[in-house]
Amino acid sequence: MSRQLTYLGAIRETLREEMQRDERVFLIGEDIGVYGGAFGVTMGLVDEFGAERVIDTPISELGIAGAITGAALTGMRPVGEIMFMDFITLALDQLVNQAAKMRFMFGGNAEIPFVLRTPAGSGAGTAAQHSQSLENWLVHVPGLKVVMPSTPHDAKGLLASSIRDNNPVVFVEHKLLYKVEGEVPDGVYTIPLGVADIKRQGHDLTIIATSVMVKRSLEAAEQLAEEGIEVEVVDPRTLKPLDKDTIIQSVSKTGRVLIVHEACKTGGFGGELAAVIAESEAFDYLDAPIMRLAGRDIPIPYNPKLEYRAVPQTDDIIEAARQLARGQV
Amino acid sequence: MAIAVIMPKLEISQESATIVDWLKQEGDPVEKGEPLFVIETDKVTVETEAPATGILADVRFAAGDRVPVTEVVAYILEPGERPPQDDKDVVVSKSEPPSPSDGDRAVTPVAQRLAKAHGVDLREVSGTGSKGLITKSDVEDMLARTGIESRVTSGRVRATPAARRLAREHNQDLDSVRGSGPRGRIQAADIWALAAEAPSQLTTDVVPLSQMRRTIAKRMTWSYQKTPHITFTVRVDMSAFEETRAHLNAKADIVGRAHVSTTALLVKAVAFCLKRHPWINSSFRDDEIHLLSEINIGVAVALQEGLIVPVVHKADEKTVGAIAAEVSDLTQRARERRLISSDIAGGTFTISNLGPLGVDEFTAIINPPEAAILAVGTTRREVVVEEEDRIAIRPVMRMTLSADHRVIDGATAARFLADVREVLEAPELMLL
Repeated sequence: MSRQLTYLGAIRETLREEMQRDERVFLIGEDIGVYGGAFGVTMGLVDEFGAERVIDTPISELGIAGAITGAALTGMRPVGEIMFMDFITLALDQLVNQAAKMRFMFGGNAEIPFVLRTPAGSGAGTAAQHSQSLENWLVHVPGLKVVMPSTPHDAKGLLASSIRDNNPVVFVEHKLLYKVEGEVPDGVYTIPLGVADIKRQGHDLTIIATSVMVKRSLEAAEQLAEEGIEVEVVDPRTLKPLDKDTIIQSVSKTGRVLIVHEACKTGGFGGELAAVIAESEAFDYLDAPIMRLAGRDIPIPYNPKLEYRAVPQTDDIIEAARQLARGQV
Repeated sequence: MAIAVIMPKLEISQESATIVDWLKQEGDPVEKGEPLFVIETDKVTVETEAPATGILADVRFAAGDRVPVTEVVAYILEPGERPPQDDKDVVVSKSEPPSPSDGDRAVTPVAQRLAKAHGVDLREVSGTGSKGLITKSDVEDMLARTGIESRVTSGRVRATPAARRLAREHNQDLDSVRGSGPRGRIQAADIWALAAEAPSQLTTDVVPLSQMRRTIAKRMTWSYQKTPHITFTVRVDMSAFEETRAHLNAKADIVGRAHVSTTALLVKAVAFCLKRHPWINSSFRDDEIHLLSEINIGVAVALQEGLIVPVVHKADEKTVGAIAAEVSDLTQRARERRLISSDIAGGTFTISNLGPLGVDEFTAIINPPEAAILAVGTTRREVVVEEEDRIAIRPVMRMTLSADHRVIDGATAARFLADVREVLEAPELMLL
C-alpha cells in the first residue's frame, strides 16, 4: 500500500521512524526544535522526542558540524541540519578536514556515521546568499557521500539508508520540492546509496538530471513525447557514490545525452558526468556532443524574473532536448 | 492611480495564505498604514496594512478564502476612479526598459561591444530577442557561422563517435560521406543511409520487379517470416521406383502414350500417403487448423523469369497415367504462359523437384496457405549398407519436408515421411 506524501513529510516521517528505531539517532541544528525548522521539516519532533534529542544550537554551522563529528565518533548517529546550503561554507573545515578524513587516518578504527541535511536551490526568492547549489564542492572530497533526492519516495528511502550508513553523508534537499507530493509506500524502507533510477524510459535521448531538475525534465519529456521524441530520464539520486553503469548503459542506448542541474555550469557536477560518459564505452555510441544545461555562472538574483532565468526551467529543457534529438546540436 | 493590494509573502516557503477577516469594507476610505485585513499562514496570523490612501474597491476574496501569494485581493482607488481592467496594467509596468539601439535596431550593450570587437556588421545580424533585440548570443552565432566557412575548406572530417564506429563496422570511408548535422557533421543516420544504399553502387543494371517476382517476393517473405519452419530429411532407395517407372514407360511406348515422369509418379505416391495424414494436408488460418477435404498437389515449375506452381487437383483420385499427362500439360502451358487461374488455385501440398538440375538435397519455403512442402533431390547411385551388413550400390534420393510447426510436430512429419519412403521403395503398395 502507498499514499500521497510531501517530500517534506517523507523526510520528517523518516527522521521520526529512525529516532524510534535507534535511540542513538538525534537531531541538531538551528531553530529545529520549538520553531520546527526554517522550512518546518522538524515540526513537532521536539514535542515527541524532547529537547535532548532535538537540539537547538546557537548560530554556528561549524559548531553543528563539529558536534555531529564528535558525537558520531563516540557512537551516536546524529542528523545535523544546515538551514541553507549556502551556510555549509562555514562548516567545511569540520566536514572536509575532519569528518571525511578520520576513518582513513585512523586506519579504519573510527566510524563517522552522521547525516548533514541541508536545503539547496533557488526559486524561493531568497537571493544570492540563500539559493546556491554547492553539492559539487562536497562531491570532490573523498570520504563524504552526497545524496540528492528528487521525489518524496526517494527522499524517504535514501534518508533511512543515509542515517544507517557508517560514513558521513551530506543529504541535499531542495526548497521547491518540500511541498511536492508523491507516492510513498507505507512503512519503513531503504534505497541503497549508489543506485540510479530511470524515472522514464525512452530511446531518442538521455537526460541525466538531479534534484528539482528531475521534475522539470519529466515535465519536458511529457511534452516532447507529444512531438514524437521519447526521452529517457535518469536520476543518479546519489552523486557519490555514483551509479556509472546505469548512466553509461542509457547513453549507449540513446546516443545523445543532455545533463541538467541547477548548480552553476562551471565546475558543476555535469562536468563530471560528461567526463564519465566520454571515458566510457558509451563514447563510441555518442551521436552528438554531450550537452549541459545548468545554472548561469552568476550569483542568484533577487529580482524574481532574473532569478527564474538564472537556472534551467522546463521550457529550456524542452528546447535543448528537442535540438539534441533532431541532430541540430 | 489604482494601487493593487496583494496577498503578502511573509515566509520563504509560503505559497498562499487564508484571509481571516476584512477590517474595512468595499467603499470605505482607508489611510496608508492602516490595518486592512487579517491573514493566516501556516505559522502566524497577522494584520496587513493598506499600501496607500484612498477608497477600498474591487475586493475579490472573502474571509475564509485561501489566496496564493502576490495575487491581487483588492484595489485602493482615488475618489471617482474605476478599478483597472487588467491587473497587469497596475502591478507590472508594461513599458520595457529602453534598449540602446544601433540605428533603428535594438542591440544589448554586450552585443554591441562584442560586435565591435570582432568587426561584425550588426545590420547582418538577425535579433532573436524580444522585438528583434540583438543579444550577445546572436552575435556569437554570427561569429560561429562565419568561422565555419573557413573551417569547411580545411579538409578535416567532422563526425560523431557513433558515426565513426558505424563507418568502421560498415567499411565506409568518411571522406565520401555528406554530413547532415550542424556544420556538416556526419551523424550515425548518415552512415545508416549510406550503408542502405551501398549495394546499389555495385549494381550493373537495375531490373524492375515483374509482377511474378513481386508476388514471389511477397509470398516467400511472408511465409518465411510468419511460418515457423521445421525440416526433415530422409534417404530413399529408388531401385523399385525406377524399375516401376521403366516398366510403365516401356508399356507407354508400346501403346503410344506419354512417358511417366519421376515427378508424376512422386505426385501419385505423395497423394496416396496424404490420404492417411490429414494434418499434413491442412492449413493454419486465424488460429485454427483447417484439415482439407481435397488433395491437390502443386508442382513447382521453374520459368525463365521465376517460378510457378500449377496444381494437380484431386491427385489421389487420378491414375498415374492421368497425372503424368496433366503434369506434362501444365508444365508445357506454364512455360508458354498459358495457365489459367484455376490451374494454380487450390493447392494443398507442394512438391518441388530439383533432381533434374542435379541438386542432392535442399529445403523449400512453405507455399502459403499450405502446411508443408516436399523438396526432392536428385537420384544418384550410392554405396549403401543393407541387411546383414552387405554393401550394395543403389539409386538413392534425398527428400526434405518443410512443415509448419504450428500444425505439424516432429513425430507427425516423421510418420508421413516414413510412409512416403515406404511407398517410393515399394510402389506396388499403391495398389492396396
